[in-house]
Amino acid sequence: MTQSAVSLQNCSFSYGNQPVWTDLSVDIPENQFSVILGRNGSGKSTLLRVMAGLLKPSSGTALVHGKNPDDLSGSERAGHIGFLPQFHRAVFPFSVRDVILTGRAGRSGFLPTEKDHEISEAALHQTGIFHLADKPYTQLSGGEQQLVMATRILAQQPAVIFLDEPTSHLDLYYQSALLSTLKSLSKDQFTMIAVLHDPNLAFRFGDEFFFLRKGKLVKPESGQESWDADFLSGIFDTPLETIPFEGKAFVVHR
Amino acid sequence: MEKKAINSRWIKSGFWIWLIPIPLILASLLVGPSDVMPVSQFISSCWSALTSSNFQSDPDFSLMLTIVTDVRLSRILLTFLVGGTLAVSGSSLQAVFRNPLVDPFILGIASGAAFGAALALAFSWIPVPVSAFGFGFLAVWMSIHFAGKEAEHSSVNLVLSGMMVSGIFTALLTVIQFVSDPFRLQTIIHWTMGNLHQATWTKVNLLLIPVVAGLSGLFLFRWRLNVLALGNEEAKAVGVNPEREKLMILILATLATAACVAAAGIIAMFGLFVPHLVRMLVGPDNRKSLPANFALGGSFLLIIDTASRSLFQFEIPIGVFTMFLGAPVFLWLMKKKSSGWM
Repeated sequence: MTQSAVSLQNCSFSYGNQPVWTDLSVDIPENQFSVILGRNGSGKSTLLRVMAGLLKPSSGTALVHGKNPDDLSGSERAGHIGFLPQFHRAVFPFSVRDVILTGRAGRSGFLPTEKDHEISEAALHQTGIFHLADKPYTQLSGGEQQLVMATRILAQQPAVIFLDEPTSHLDLYYQSALLSTLKSLSKDQFTMIAVLHDPNLAFRFGDEFFFLRKGKLVKPESGQESWDADFLSGIFDTPLETIPFEGKAFVVHR
Repeated sequence: MEKKAINSRWIKSGFWIWLIPIPLILASLLVGPSDVMPVSQFISSCWSALTSSNFQSDPDFSLMLTIVTDVRLSRILLTFLVGGTLAVSGSSLQAVFRNPLVDPFILGIASGAAFGAALALAFSWIPVPVSAFGFGFLAVWMSIHFAGKEAEHSSVNLVLSGMMVSGIFTALLTVIQFVSDPFRLQTIIHWTMGNLHQATWTKVNLLLIPVVAGLSGLFLFRWRLNVLALGNEEAKAVGVNPEREKLMILILATLATAACVAAAGIIAMFGLFVPHLVRMLVGPDNRKSLPANFALGGSFLLIIDTASRSLFQFEIPIGVFTMFLGAPVFLWLMKKKSSGWM
């Protein structure tokens, strides 16, 4: 039985008086690659932000490793929680190496230490973007920028990594490279929680699946797998067919 | 090929920037509008001081000593400190606001501080630097507040609200000028034009503490500026509290800038264009560019000031020069917006 990395109890969240979801409870297991799926606007990104402590729930509690993120100091928080935003707008042409080094900012003082440099270099190798190290971040393609930001979170080495659509701009090569890196990390000491649009990528790399629909957390019925065609058709409001593959399934439009 | 790589690395390292100020300061000591002491006589009196044994009684030498230490050196130090401070503050503010179009002048810090200083000069209610800092900080707070939450996404919002706040304090400054008595009015007007020619050791001493405090604080934050320059969410994502660090940097930059304004008046746009020049030379990493901004900013203002006091019979206020240099850079940056820079 794995311990839960993130635990939400009776959480509600609303933007102004527009509720995104209400009375939501969920436990995300530790050292697994968990994926949150659902349609656009179903509140996936909001859920991820509340879990990561970037947004406060309107009511209820959101705990990471049993602690409220607000009670943690900066460096403790950096050790527990890492978050990869969906969009990033660059202003200054920092080198990729400098961008990744800022991942260590929450865990060190005014200046990065020798160890911070070493960890950043190791992260560059981990995601296979060492050849980009000296390039200005602003001159990279959207996908490369996304990889750099993912590498930056790996350099941070938080226990739980939240990823908001980490593969949205990546080509097939980097999709598999990044997701298999994340998966292998989740086998070690890290917990991955990702919002993904593509159920095929989710089933290929994920361990646990959570579905949001119209502000509610939906589970498959007993005896039904997460990749059941009828269940997924209901989640995505479109007729889907599944083809069995390696114990799970491929999802295609009907 | 190999040599070229070394050259470019040497340029990028930024060490060479520290070689500029020293000969520049020495050269500026020799230059001045003083007809009493042309360069040739200056050198000959130096020479005689070195060769003769009783040079201390030489009238030429004591005159030279007075001009150099009391008149020129104080002005050179004041100019260098002001230039360096404005460039470092401008660079820090650009990083914090992720906005290449801001500097202490555009955000209203300079106008706020000028109003605060004028208020203190006219009514002697609290010390000039304190009042300058208070109103400088009020001004930048107003600029941020009126720019609203959108300011992180649109550089123009902050520039517009800064311009308005700047306008308000400039208008208030005019009101002060109207109501103050003629004797004090002259002091206020002289100084708002951005003058360095009234430099004295008293001014330098007054400037030293807030500038050293502000700049060493900003220097400590030089790497944190890189983190903040990536954006609020990106800073929070890695466990940094961006609001708290931004506030501290804002206080430090305002402290140093307000002291400069209180000592030398408004020097427009200088803090905008020097950071861009430095970024082109040593790259955007603030660990390198912050110290480089001090050396280059100080040197550059010293060149402008030395030129302005030796090229013409009369002195043009330095704020006029920097506006002529800064405005085209600002307009060019605005044009560049479409190329993805902002």
